[in-house]
Amino acid sequence: MSTSRVLIACWMALAVLSAGTVALGQAAATGWATLAILTVAVAKAWLIADGFMELRHAPRLWRRLVLTWAVVLAVVIGTSFSI
Amino acid sequence: MWFFILAELSVFALLMLAFTVAQALYPQIFSEGRQLLDRSTGLAMTLSLLTAGLFAALAQEQVRLDRPRRGALCLWLALLSASAYVTLKLTEYAHLSASGLGLEHSTFFTLYWILTVFHFLHVLLGMVILGWLAEGCRRRRYSSQRCSGLESGVLYWHMVDLVWVVLFPLVYILD
Repeated sequence: MSTSRVLIACWMALAVLSAGTVALGQAAATGWATLAILTVAVAKAWLIADGFMELRHAPRLWRRLVLTWAVVLAVVIGTSFSI
Repeated sequence: MWFFILAELSVFALLMLAFTVAQALYPQIFSEGRQLLDRSTGLAMTLSLLTAGLFAALAQEQVRLDRPRRGALCLWLALLSASAYVTLKLTEYAHLSASGLGLEHSTFFTLYWILTVFHFLHVLLGMVILGWLAEGCRRRRYSSQRCSGLESGVLYWHMVDLVWVVLFPLVYILD
């Protein structure tokens, strides 16, 4: 697959996941909905990092730091809702 | 550039953590405040930023293929999409201000304004950078052998996108 097609596929996935986030937000405000919304946010962050920022070709440390950034934030936010 | 981006991500993380802690302390105030935000506008802003990110990435690809003029076109399209975000955000700000939902209205809106205006300023800086890169492409300043400056600028834009995809559910959606 050409680079341009990969980028367009990433963008389409990001658009669908964004619409999914809003749809999940309109569903009942349950713990599962919160978990799903945060999982989608992490998936989107990873798509941007690996797809748009090309971190899949970058040194491992940078990639791990950026991917961990999204996971840590999602975990902290999710934990605050479960308290 | 990576050090700068990680520093920026750390600052945004601290702001979002402050928002999260305040939300845990005052859940009712945050829930009421969030109800006053329009989620569909938030979605439109998200799509505008992501589309700008796509065009910025496509511009980078065109320059790597030694097609700087096409790269410039992609960057102008990225700017056009980013302008839609700016318009939507300014409309939202104007609406909230007119409704008396300013910085001092509640803890939710204090943090809403701090967090989103800080991000908005980054978007504006990102747009200046994209415009600079577009002009550079038009003048054939970048090529497959000389594109590190362009890559750094585009990377900055993606960082702005990256922050938004976490900020958007935190501020607009989660309840």
